[in-house]
Amino acid sequence: MTTGAHTRPTLLSAHFSVRYGKRAPTLRNVKLEILQGEVVGLVGQSGSGKSTLAMTILGLLDRKRAHAEGTVQFEDRDLLQLGERELRSLRGRKLALVLQSPLSSLNPALRIRTQLREAWRAHAAGSSADCEQAIRAALEGVSLPSSDEFLRKYPSQMSVGQAQRVLIAMAILHRPALLIADEATSALDVITQAEILALFRELNRQTGMAILYISHDLASVAEICDRVAILHEGQIVECGPTEEILSCPQHEYTQRLMAAMPRIPRTNAAQSRPAAASAAKATGSG
Amino acid sequence: MKAGRTLACVVLLIVVGASLAAGWLAPAGYAKQYREAADAPPSAQHWLGTDEIGRDRFARVLYGTRISLLLAPAAALLSTFLAVLVGGLAGYLGGVWARVAMAVTDLFLSLPWLFLLITVRALMPLNVSPLVSVLVTFLILGALGWTSAARVLCATAATLRSSDFVCQARASGIRGGRLFWIHVLPNLKPVLYAQFWISIPVFILSEANLGILGLGVAEPLPSWGSLLRELEGLVSVGEEPWKFVPLILLVVVVTSFQFLLSKQEEVAA
Repeated sequence: MTTGAHTRPTLLSAHFSVRYGKRAPTLRNVKLEILQGEVVGLVGQSGSGKSTLAMTILGLLDRKRAHAEGTVQFEDRDLLQLGERELRSLRGRKLALVLQSPLSSLNPALRIRTQLREAWRAHAAGSSADCEQAIRAALEGVSLPSSDEFLRKYPSQMSVGQAQRVLIAMAILHRPALLIADEATSALDVITQAEILALFRELNRQTGMAILYISHDLASVAEICDRVAILHEGQIVECGPTEEILSCPQHEYTQRLMAAMPRIPRTNAAQSRPAAASAAKATGSG
Repeated sequence: MKAGRTLACVVLLIVVGASLAAGWLAPAGYAKQYREAADAPPSAQHWLGTDEIGRDRFARVLYGTRISLLLAPAAALLSTFLAVLVGGLAGYLGGVWARVAMAVTDLFLSLPWLFLLITVRALMPLNVSPLVSVLVTFLILGALGWTSAARVLCATAATLRSSDFVCQARASGIRGGRLFWIHVLPNLKPVLYAQFWISIPVFILSEANLGILGLGVAEPLPSWGSLLRELEGLVSVGEEPWKFVPLILLVVVVTSFQFLLSKQEEVAA
């Protein structure tokens, strides 16, 4: 299913609900479509069900506690009907995940090389040299050094930005069709955040990998997403091209989100500068 | 505290060193009988005197130390392995596995440990060779001493199971067994080391308890437990103070271990 404006084929088409035990559904009749090579933003406040949505797509929901109903069509397969073995063969290879906190998402007890090697070996059976080559290519792809010295590091010996790049390198090792970035830039400072966003854009352009960019930060969504879906209390209340949604929000919740966006106030110094200049001009001192 | 740990380390090194040099320090060996000097007081030839059948007590203390200090870490290793197998895996698998494993662990924990050891040891033949008795004692201690460590490991593994890095590894397509082996187990190491070291003094005391009751290491092999049996018939404390050397050694070694383990216990907690 594709919308009229889109010419690319659909990669993922989901329509499902999720509930934990006998509680009210966490996600209700969520409809989401991602086209091949598209960057889709999913925006919502904490507790709106963003991460549950990501985990449902990846089949990582605790099946004993959570119950998902509906369909998640991905490359002609319904992910909700697949068993653990089939899902595992897709995870990391076709579907990849980058989590919010880079330092806690990397195993503190393992060197970077080991973590990347394990991720590679999960879906490849090549020699050590092949593995090493793939690892180095992935690291270079995210602008990280691929030296032995770097690969010997533990996560605690890296900056947050480097750790996030390692996670992204791990996620793109097998060139997945869809990368789910769950609040992947929320824990970063603004400069590192901008770098990571640029990296996502670049990877999307180079590899044609679709990205589901989950965030509560509208500014970063506006930066990289082609389309945006607004998730509120477990429902997608609005979905469309990013520019359209952000410039002309229809739903009340989206309007509130837009209104809550921080704006940089004009400082007194900045305001007084033109006044001071004109005063100086008037007195002839400039 | 640091000075205490250094002193404990020095004491343990001296004790271990002396026990390893037993063949040189006490060339007569632990089994040779000096029948003409049975139950003799300390002398130049027998520094700690002889026991009631004339064996050199100093040699027996050294060899007994060697056996007890070898047995306790071996039992600690076995119990730590069992604790990982039961507690670590149960915590990682969660759900019904964790509930069943912890129910079994609680059952073991609620049993009086010493009586359990005595019962299990008593079920086995008493007329076993000394070497077999060492193995049996080590197996019993190791097989019954895993419970507290299993509880700690279960809780730690359960926390790791829901950690971000395990979620990330699962999202990379890494399968369950490898996830446990590569991602969970290395993070259990600090707790494992702590549990291993904490178990050693416990097993030293347990072996001594079994030895006092005649259920530990069989004669003529000495161990701290069997050496302590000598104190059973002692009439006065001041009469033959040299007979207290194994007891003093036991207290000193266990106390030294406690000093050394103060850091490890913090990790385990």
